[in-house]
Amino acid sequence: MQELLQYLFSGITNGAIYAVIAVGFAVLFNATELINFAHGEFVMLGALGMVTLYSSLQLPLTLAFLLTTVGVSCVGFLFERFAIRTVKRPEPIVLVIITVGASIFLRGVGMLGWGKDAFSVDPFSTHPPFSIAGAHLLPQSLWILVIVLGAVVGLHLFFNRSLTGKAMLACAISRRAAWLVGIPTGRMVQLAFVLSAAMGAVAGIIIAPVTMCSYDMGTLLGLKGFCAAMLGGLGSLWGGVLGGFLLGVLEALGVGFLSSSLKDAIAFVLLLLILYVRPAGLLGARKVQRF
Amino acid sequence: MNAAEKIQDEGAPLLQILSVSKTFGGVKALTEVGFEVAPATIQGVIGPNGAGKTTLFNLISGFYPPDQGTIRYDGRDTDGRSNTELVRLGITRTFQNVELFESMSALENVMVGQHVRSRCGFWGALWRTPGMRREERRIHERAMALLEFVGLGAVAHGRSGDLPFGWQRLLEIARALAAEPRLLLLDEPAAGLNAVETRELATLLLRIKAEGVTQLLVEHDMSLTMEISDRIAVLDQGRLIAEGRPREIQSDPAVISAYLGVQTA
Amino acid sequence: MVARYLRRNWAYLVFLAAVGVTGCLVQNAYYFQVLTFIGINTLLALGLNLLMGYAGQISLGHAAFYGIGAYTTAILTTTWGLSPGLALPCALAIAALVALVVGLPTLKLSGYYLGMGTLGFGMIVHIFLREWTEVTGGASGFIGIPPLTLGPIVFTDDRAYFYLVWATVLLSFILTHRLIRSRVGRALRSIHDSEHAARAVGVDTQRLKLQVFIFSAILAALGGFFYAHLVNFISPDSFNFLVSVRMVTMVVIGGMASVWGALLGASLLTLLPEWLHTFSDFEMVVYGLILMLVMILMPQGLTRGILDAYERSRKNSR
Repeated sequence: MQELLQYLFSGITNGAIYAVIAVGFAVLFNATELINFAHGEFVMLGALGMVTLYSSLQLPLTLAFLLTTVGVSCVGFLFERFAIRTVKRPEPIVLVIITVGASIFLRGVGMLGWGKDAFSVDPFSTHPPFSIAGAHLLPQSLWILVIVLGAVVGLHLFFNRSLTGKAMLACAISRRAAWLVGIPTGRMVQLAFVLSAAMGAVAGIIIAPVTMCSYDMGTLLGLKGFCAAMLGGLGSLWGGVLGGFLLGVLEALGVGFLSSSLKDAIAFVLLLLILYVRPAGLLGARKVQRF
Repeated sequence: MNAAEKIQDEGAPLLQILSVSKTFGGVKALTEVGFEVAPATIQGVIGPNGAGKTTLFNLISGFYPPDQGTIRYDGRDTDGRSNTELVRLGITRTFQNVELFESMSALENVMVGQHVRSRCGFWGALWRTPGMRREERRIHERAMALLEFVGLGAVAHGRSGDLPFGWQRLLEIARALAAEPRLLLLDEPAAGLNAVETRELATLLLRIKAEGVTQLLVEHDMSLTMEISDRIAVLDQGRLIAEGRPREIQSDPAVISAYLGVQTA
Repeated sequence: MVARYLRRNWAYLVFLAAVGVTGCLVQNAYYFQVLTFIGINTLLALGLNLLMGYAGQISLGHAAFYGIGAYTTAILTTTWGLSPGLALPCALAIAALVALVVGLPTLKLSGYYLGMGTLGFGMIVHIFLREWTEVTGGASGFIGIPPLTLGPIVFTDDRAYFYLVWATVLLSFILTHRLIRSRVGRALRSIHDSEHAARAVGVDTQRLKLQVFIFSAILAALGGFFYAHLVNFISPDSFNFLVSVRMVTMVVIGGMASVWGALLGASLLTLLPEWLHTFSDFEMVVYGLILMLVMILMPQGLTRGILDAYERSRKNSR
């Protein structure tokens, strides 16, 4: 029982990370129908940003958090401006390859900036782990959960209550119609990239204290976050959340009851399963046309 | 008498639209539309904008199934059949805004049109078997013949995307004929053509009819439709309001009021 | 008759001559190995080229087929003692079967689900190769792969292997060209131009895409076969996600839907790491930048880009 609970705790913690990464994919896909394979690198930049600002420069937590998020959002902005908007032939296959190239480029930048070493970051609070029914829960896990849920709720309110958010959804439903009614679709796309990058940064920031941060941490995280997004349904915010938590828990249980070396395969097996059985994802629309 | 036997009977219709309805999320595009098309005739379908002509067209060409009713081709229901199957059974179509394979030559376009009437796959292609070479020659000759038939023999090797619009239309028809259809569906073939080109189109369609191919023509150009159709179906707001010979349609009060509005005296 | 044959196939003859001359001139074993690698990479790029350029699908896990080819022959020839001549058809058959299983459900859906499926599939294969230690040797790799023997000939000589691989490349070029000029090739090009119209004309687009996918998997496995017997030691890291990305890059840079583009892309990308050794730290940055720039500025790839630029300059000078 205690073992199961421990697995659940670690599963939910990881699940929250996957959830916020998946949400980053969802936000961008919703506005642009683009899958950004470089998303994992935003996570990496967020984590390494914290390494520099919080660990090395010893800036206060909130400031480091904010600066890192803003910094990575700028990267997202620049990415859209120079790599996406300038494309001569914006076919999906071309854009996919561009994002793959960006992923490698950013990883290279990470390596140049921080080298090949792995860094660690202090947890946000120094409270000792909580003991619940014999299982340990790190305070950082609570931070992760709270921040992720806060971010997702914030996004939900943004999309459903604010005018800008609704405008962005309108772009997702029909870019032309949105443009015809006066919504600045170009700005909406920019905003989507910025929001998506910010989500990635947040993921990196909150994960930094519980994992070793290095230039190549982004790839696998990004891919798994993508699997979580597909699991829940690519266009759906809460689908991404559901997919993330589901993936985290299944992974933890898999490590516990199967084998830890196959842990990474679980995400991809789930991806294939969802593609075969229900490509729209658990919460996605029934009819599936393109990605 | 089952459907197969019915077809032996010369007078049996090739296409039967049986009380077909289609709704799109609250909009009743078609309501209980029904008529028949006899083989080797030209059936026109006309109606004001929004009448449901495109919907009917897409239903017959298998783009989506009817919500109610059936479409029967050659005695068989077309429901749920794939595109490839329908083409193999003998139904092909043209597009309103010509969709050619632009990077390919006119000849190659028509050769692709014969895809379902040929068999050579990967194996034959890789090893260039004698069977494959024979089939390629046949495909080539037939494609040239079809281009001559529609009058495009001279531009066979030109890039189809570079052809003038009127010729692109003709090419599309040639491509549709390449699959040896018994039913050819034409989606506003006169759209974008000038008067001379429309004349030539009329001549071509009549020659196609002489070859025994049945045609269903959705058109806005009234004079073309009246001139070459054997029968015309008139749709208005999703319903069939008249069906008969061109002369009958021209003097039908329901048709006149649909197009011109009810007379207020 | 002979003249007409020469005129139609001049490119192949030039290619044949170039290979022959290079084989005679080169003396250094290292150069031979690099050149042989270019040949193997060309095989990898060729199939993927068809898939991306004509069927319009992207495969982000193609290294898995490369790995399947390499590991199958490694296991069969080393552990089971089969002759490479027998191992080859097995490797190709397994790759084809796996491609069928992966492609069948994903290609039923329109859009880029094949890309997603291959991504997941590629990662899974890599993890299995890494973890299934008893069979594959695990992360430390598989050693002791015997040299290639075809009948009485044993290919231990670098030059002989070079000729063998390039002869296979030439054969693949010829076969691919035959494919493109056939009914299948026309159908593929029609899908490329307008999938909608292709379907309306009766082309079974899903089936064709699946067939091309399987064909590309077979070519990748062939590359893997040659790779295993060239280096006699393979490890899972040679078949990871980055390798899949590199394969896609080769096709993209060389030009999709262009047989010679596969050769160009393979050459550039095999030689690039050699040139980048001087900036070894910058390798990833340069790599990523190249990919982005080519796709932004010349999405049809360098082959087409160069040809178009040449045609434009000719038009302007008139």
